[in-house]
Order: sequence, then C-alpha cells, then structure tokens
Amino acid sequence: MGDTKLDVLQGTLDLMVLKTVESMGPLHGYGIARRIEQVSGDALTLNQGTIYPALLRLEQRGWIHAEWGMSESNRRAKFYSLSRAGRKQIAKETQNWERVAATMARFLAENS
Amino acid sequence: MEWIRILLSRCTALFRRKRLDVELDEELRTHIEMAVEENLRRGMTADEARTAALRSFGGVTQTKEAYRVQSGARLAESLAQDARYGLRQLKRDRGFTLTVMVTLALAIGANTAIFSVVNALLIQSLPYAHPERMGTIFFRVEGAKPLDGLHAIDGTQWETLRDNVPSLIAAVYGWISGVNLQAGPRVQYVHDARVSAHYFDVLAIRPMIGRSFSEEEDRPNGPKAVMLSYDLWRSILGGEPSIVGQAIRLKSESYTVIGVLPEGAQTPLNADLYTALQPSRTGEGGGTNFGVITRLRDGATWQQADAELNRAWAFRAADYAREHPGGGRLHFYSVPLQRGETAELRPKALTLMLAAGLILLIASANIAGLTLVRMTRRVSEVATRMALGASRWRIQRQLWIENLMLAGAGGAVGASVGFAALRGLLALLPTHFLPVARVALDGRVLAFTLVLSLLTSVLFGMLPALTMRRVDLRSSMGSHAVAGVEKLRLRQCLIAGEVALSLVLLAGAGLLIRTLIHLETLPQGFNPTGIMTGTASLDDARFQDPAAFAKLLDESTAAMLRIPGVENAAVGLSLPYERALNDGVTFSDGKEAGQRAMSGEVYATQGYFETLEIPLLAGRYFTASDGPNTQRVAIVNRTFARRFYGNENPVDRVINKGVVIVGVVSDVPVAAGLDATAPLAGEQMVYIPAKQFGGKLLAMVHVWFQPSWIVRTARPVTGLTEEMQQAMADADPGLPFSGFYSMKEVLAKRLALQRVEVALLSALAGLALLLSAVGIFALVANIVAQRTREIGIRLALGASLGQAMTHVSAMGVRAVAAGLAVGLVLCAGVLPLMHSVLYGVSVYDASTGLAAVTMLVAVSLFAATAPALRVARIDPARTLREE
Repeated sequence: MGDTKLDVLQGTLDLMVLKTVESMGPLHGYGIARRIEQVSGDALTLNQGTIYPALLRLEQRGWIHAEWGMSESNRRAKFYSLSRAGRKQIAKETQNWERVAATMARFLAENS
Repeated sequence: MEWIRILLSRCTALFRRKRLDVELDEELRTHIEMAVEENLRRGMTADEARTAALRSFGGVTQTKEAYRVQSGARLAESLAQDARYGLRQLKRDRGFTLTVMVTLALAIGANTAIFSVVNALLIQSLPYAHPERMGTIFFRVEGAKPLDGLHAIDGTQWETLRDNVPSLIAAVYGWISGVNLQAGPRVQYVHDARVSAHYFDVLAIRPMIGRSFSEEEDRPNGPKAVMLSYDLWRSILGGEPSIVGQAIRLKSESYTVIGVLPEGAQTPLNADLYTALQPSRTGEGGGTNFGVITRLRDGATWQQADAELNRAWAFRAADYAREHPGGGRLHFYSVPLQRGETAELRPKALTLMLAAGLILLIASANIAGLTLVRMTRRVSEVATRMALGASRWRIQRQLWIENLMLAGAGGAVGASVGFAALRGLLALLPTHFLPVARVALDGRVLAFTLVLSLLTSVLFGMLPALTMRRVDLRSSMGSHAVAGVEKLRLRQCLIAGEVALSLVLLAGAGLLIRTLIHLETLPQGFNPTGIMTGTASLDDARFQDPAAFAKLLDESTAAMLRIPGVENAAVGLSLPYERALNDGVTFSDGKEAGQRAMSGEVYATQGYFETLEIPLLAGRYFTASDGPNTQRVAIVNRTFARRFYGNENPVDRVINKGVVIVGVVSDVPVAAGLDATAPLAGEQMVYIPAKQFGGKLLAMVHVWFQPSWIVRTARPVTGLTEEMQQAMADADPGLPFSGFYSMKEVLAKRLALQRVEVALLSALAGLALLLSAVGIFALVANIVAQRTREIGIRLALGASLGQAMTHVSAMGVRAVAAGLAVGLVLCAGVLPLMHSVLYGVSVYDASTGLAAVTMLVAVSLFAATAPALRVARIDPARTLREE
C-alpha cells in the first residue's frame, strides 16, 4: 500500500456502492468490491470487508435490496440491486458531491 | 474461529440475529472463495491465493464487528448483558425484590381491577351499531337552584317526541317487571321489559327470526305480542323457529310470539322477553314513568335534534315556569347513551380510580425509598464499574433496566392480582347492578397496566437515578458509604407524602363506613328478626279483578298461617327498606282541605303491622272488617302526621274524599322515592287496606311492584321457603314465588352500592396504611443499620438505650408528623368532594378524622419503633473495635 493511494473518505463509499450497483445491475459483494477497485484504477485503499457494513447500512435505509442467488461460479451469494429510493438517493448525492467538488476546486485554484 | 461460536451462542436468544450471523458468515466465505479463485486464475499458488485474498479483504473480525454494530446486534447484546447483570443483582437482594414485587403487584392489581370497571362503564363503546349516534334525554334548569339529570317522560311528551322531532328515531320503555310465563306444565317467573315500537330500531338490533313490534301492536289495547331473548327461547321455550306466530301464555293471557332476538344480543334492559309498552296519555302515561332512548337519523345533527326537542316540549317548559314562579328556565338536551346510563355511577367510579391512583403514588414513593437505600449500598459497586471504564450513561442504563425489569414483573403479577380482584369485586355486586353485561380484561386494560408499570418504574426510579448521577469517584471508592443528610431528607419527604395520602384515604373510607353504619342502624321502627318474605308477580290478568285479588290474599295468608312455627303472616305492596309507590294525597277536611301533597303509599293486609311489629302510636291497626264495601280507611306514619297535621291528632281526619285515617304507626326506613337525598329515609307514608286498594291502580302497581308475602316465626324453621311455596300453591297453583328474602337481605340489596363503596375504599385505605407502615419501618431499620457505629459511640459515651432508640425513631416520627399535617390540609381540600355520597355524617366529622389520625399514628409509631429495638442488640465495644 503505497503513499499515493487514497483512503476512502467517510460517506463516499456509500455513493460508490450505489453507483456500482446502478451501473452493473444485481451484483454480489465481491463483485461490487472488485468493481470499485477497478473503476478507481486501484488508486483507492479499500479493505474489501468494509463494504459489508456499508451494504447493510444501505439496505437498512431501503436504498438497495438483497437477495440470495447463484454466482457465475455456481456459489450461493447475496445479490444486491438498486431500489427506487436508492436511485433518487444517487441523484441527490451526485449533485451534492459535484457541488462540494466544484467548491473545493475553486478554493484550491484561488489559493495556489 | 472460536469467537464466532462464542458470539453465536451468546445470541441464541436473539433468534434473528443468529440467522443474520450465519448469513454473514456465508456471504463472507463466498467473497473470500471468489477472491481465491480469481487469484488462482492469475497463476498464484493455493497458499498465495488465500493469503492475498485475505489481505485485500482486510480483517474478517473487524468486518464482522462493524457489521454487528451496524445491525444493532451489539446494542441488543449489551442490553441483554445489563439485564442478566440486573437479574443477578435483584436475586441477591431477595428481600428488596420481594418487597417491591408485592408492593407493585398490589398497587397495579388494584388499579387494573378498578380500571377494568371504568373501562367497561365509561370507555368501551356500547355493543350497538354506531353508538355515537345513540342518546337519551336530560333536563336542565338554570338559575338560583340549578338542576340537571336524566329525564323520565309522560305519555303526552312521548307523543310529541314521536311525532314532532324528525331528527330522532325515539323509543320509550317502562319499568322492567317480573311476570309469570307458562312453559309446558310449569309456570316460570321471568323478566319482562315493556318497550315501544322502534325500540329495536334505535338499538339497531334485528330479530334473528321474525320481526319487532309494529306501531299497531304498540297502540293502547293493541294485539298482544311478545319478543323472546335468544336464551329464553333456547332454554325454556324449546328453541324451535316455528314458535314465531304461535301463542304463548304470559301473565295468564295469550301473547303471539312475533320474533326472537339474535344470540348474545344485549339491550340496556337485558330482559328475558319484551312486550309492547302501548303508551298512552293516561294511566301509566299520566305520570313521568317512561325512559327514553334515541338514535340520530342519518344526516341529522344533535343540535337540530335538541332544537326540535325543545320546540316540541315547549308546553312542558311553560308548565314548569307556571308551577315554579321565579324558578329558572327548563330545557332539554340530548346526552350520549353511555353517559346517560352511567350518570350515577360515573363519579363513584372516578373517585375509586382516584383512590387507586393515590395507592400507586404511595407504592411508588415506597419503592423509591427502598431503591434509594439500595443505591446507597451500591455506590462503591458503581464507583468500581466507573473506575473500570463504564460510562455514566452505561451505569444509568443499568439502573433503568433494573427498574424496568422490576416494574415489568410487578406489572405482570399485578395483572393477575387485578384479574382476581375484579372477580371478587364483581361477586360483591348484585346482579343487574352495572349497566353493562360483562366486565372483561381486554386489550385496553392490559395496555393500561403496561403503561402503569412503565410509569411506576419512572416514578420510583427517577430519584435514585438522579442521586446516582452525582457519584464522585474518588470519595466513593472504598469508603463505607453513609447515607448523606440530603438523602435521608429525601426519604423522610417520601414517607411524609405517603402518610399524607394514606390519611386522606383513611378519612375517606372512615366517612363512608360512618355513612353505612348510619344507614344500617337507622331507627328501624319494626322488628326485622324472624321475618321471611317472598315476592311474586301479580302482573297477571287473573288478579286484575279486586275480588280475585282479595281471595288470593285471604287464602294464601291463611295457608301460610297453618305452617308450623309461623306466628303471623301478611301481604304488603312493599317492605321497609324498599321503595314505595308515590301517589298524590288530597286533604279533605279542616284547614288543610283542598291541599295536595305527595306521599309514599303501600297496600297492606290485616296483620301487616303486627307481623312486622311496627308499633301503633294512635288509633288502631287494620282489621278483618276493613273490606271492599266498608268505610274506606287509611293508616299514616308519624312523619305524615307531623308534616301535614303538626301537633294535631290525625285520627278521624279525612283524606282523598272520604278515606278516614284510623291509626298512626311509627316510621320505618324506606328507599327514598320523593326526595332522593339519602338511600334510606323515613318518608311520609299512607297505608291502605289491600282490599280497598282498587280500581285501575291495582293492575298498574302490579306492573311496577311485586308484593311481598311476609311471615314471622319465633325461631328459624327449616324448609320454611318450601312450605311457603306449598302454601301459595294451595291458594293458587299457577303462582310461583320469584324469590325469598330475609329483612337483612332486603337491607343489603338496598345498600349494595354503599357496601361496595365501603369495601373498596376500605381495602384501598388498608393497602395505603400497610404500604406506609412498610415505608416507615424500612426507613428506620435502615437508619439503624447504617448508623450502627454512630449509635455504638453514643452508647459508649454514656447515652442510655432509650435515648439511642428515641434518637433513631425520631427521624421516622418526624416524617410521620409532617405527613399528618400535610394530610389534614389535603383532607380539608379533598373530602368535601365526597359530600354527595355521605349521609348522617358531615364532611368534617371530628370523630372520623380523629379515628383516622389515631389509627395512622398507632401504626406509624409501631413501624417506627419496632426496628429501633434492634439498637438494643448493638454492642458498643464491638462496633468501636471494628472502627
């Protein structure tokens, strides 16, 4: 784990998981974790385990559904899919995140 | 993975949590295996693949822990842990736990039982469709002497109500009466409710078979029709549906059965059968003898109905204004049926609920005191836990969990105690006493008990928990905690509060007891011992003829006189303690000539006064020669003579155009019918020879009253009632007695309400006294235990045992004294509320107050000194050595 890797920011993991489930359709935990690593280009330090409490949290809030199914390698796995509330949440969070990012970008540009 | 199994086993109790764990295990296993597979595909060796997979997963243990926190299992676990710890603590303090449980069970039980009755009477909806659209009619007179109450109506009012108030479906009913029903070869005594047409429309009850009364059947002298209750139909009349349309013999006449009510159908009258009232403007309808029930028609409002009602009955208000010049305006208004039916019981039920609430407060104060002591003993335990890192929140939570467990268990036991108490309470009540068919422990009652348990746990847990917040770690560790002055004050205040509330309850119960004693020991004016009475219904076509009635009286009394051991026998329309007929009396001579007054009226056979041993004050008793064709005579009682003739002798005076007063007898207590300020009173009374009591009134009084056959025996005669029934059968084989009562039972029936009130309030007051005594005892016992050292030193320094004991009990005594003072002030405020239920004793009755205070002081002193005796067992030398 080199110095150049980023720690996952508090709160960003939830959005990543939601977004992943949105783009990939129903997916198991391992798939979600791998997908996040791939998309981030391995720039993130992600303990894969941390996505499980996140998945439970999202499920408790009703943003995703979980269902037992069979994986491509014929293993019983829990598949997560996006709910309608989850879709709305993505839109909200995305907007929010973009605003924060834009603000940060402006702030950093001014002070550099 | 040992820890999983440990954790899993810990969660066995939490079934779902366990399943979640198993699922998570499987999910994580799949995850790792997928990762391993992928790594193998990339060409790693098996070992490398597994190591890499686990590394990129991060800590399995941490993941699971985070997952459990997220799922809430952690909180549940730690709560379960607290609960188990609390349970151990409660088990260790067995005496404390037992005391608290018993206190709670009694307090919550009493509240549950009384609330069940309140619920059934005042809260539960009536068992009819849309009960909110049902009502009855009250009257109100505003002005200097305001009046308010249930309004009985006469025939004229009924006709205007029926015809001129379109917003209401209205129905009237008469007094419920006992009648004789021919069922096969036997004649049975059953309850008949006389109701107008549309009565069942108001109740929204459809007959199971047949129909209800038509308007034709409800006209005076209309066809005789009867409706049967389901139970009567099944039990006595065979239960065949074909009975509808057939005739049955009722009151020695033929009645056509037109309908059978559904199984379990309740009416406010709950009779065995129903006949048409056939109301008119004369006879029964000439007086206010009908009760009203109404149902609001669809689309109408109560305001409309009341406006129509007052317009329709404007003549009545005008009559009232004429009869009461200067009085207030009379007007009428609708009242929801439930409130109308329970108007009399409501304040009593609420008073009891209040008393039960006081018990709960006392119990909570007591338990708060006990918990406070327990907390004091646990200060070092708490300090240790805090030193080991427990947060204040965790400690508080622990305490509250213990309180909740106590309250929960107490509530559960209390619910069963309440159930038993309710059974007992209902057994005390005479049948048909409550206007509801049954009182059940329903969901609402159980919810009430649950809320009560939570409330008590908050009440008794709050003070100790607050004091615990101020535990100071440094000073508490290792020190032998001594109750601070402040905490002692707090407990003294609690005790004072308990004593004050107990005094209120004791004084209240005392006043009710005095009332009952007053009523039961009224000057009797007759000799109730050795009397047996039997009632029978003469609401029967055969006895409407005065000659047949006279023959029955003669033959039945003669037959009863032949029973061995019977000294005297007679018949009377009503008995002492019972309600008499109210009738107008016109004075026909002297300066009172032309005046009218109301009086109680009783017909009596020759021998009525001799059998009851009512002393003659002037003139003569009735004799055999006072017959239908001789001079009409009357006997009046002392109150009648005093009230209407002052000091003059009423004998030979004339009333009711030609009735000569021939005698004056002493007063007997009767159920007040004229001026209902007391349940029993000596009212003015006119006695008429039964054979001269004639005309239309004879048939009518037998609808309302069942006359009593009275026999006097010198000593108890076994099988007397069977002999009386046989004697009656000799005179008339078709006339069953409806019941036999000693005079004691007649009195008990009359004072049932007062007896129940006394029993309940005394039980509550006794409970309060007991709880207070326990509280005081615990307080002083505790002081002794905590101050053993101090007392030892005092003794060593030369204090006498007596001084040491006084020093200790003084704390309890001071609390009691303060409580008494507060209690007396409370009494002055609260007791006047009882004004309406007290008779023969004033609200501020000094002797009752004194008795209550004395009793409380005696019990408190005992409770305060008994534990102080332990001081004698303190060995100063040893306590000093222990120092």
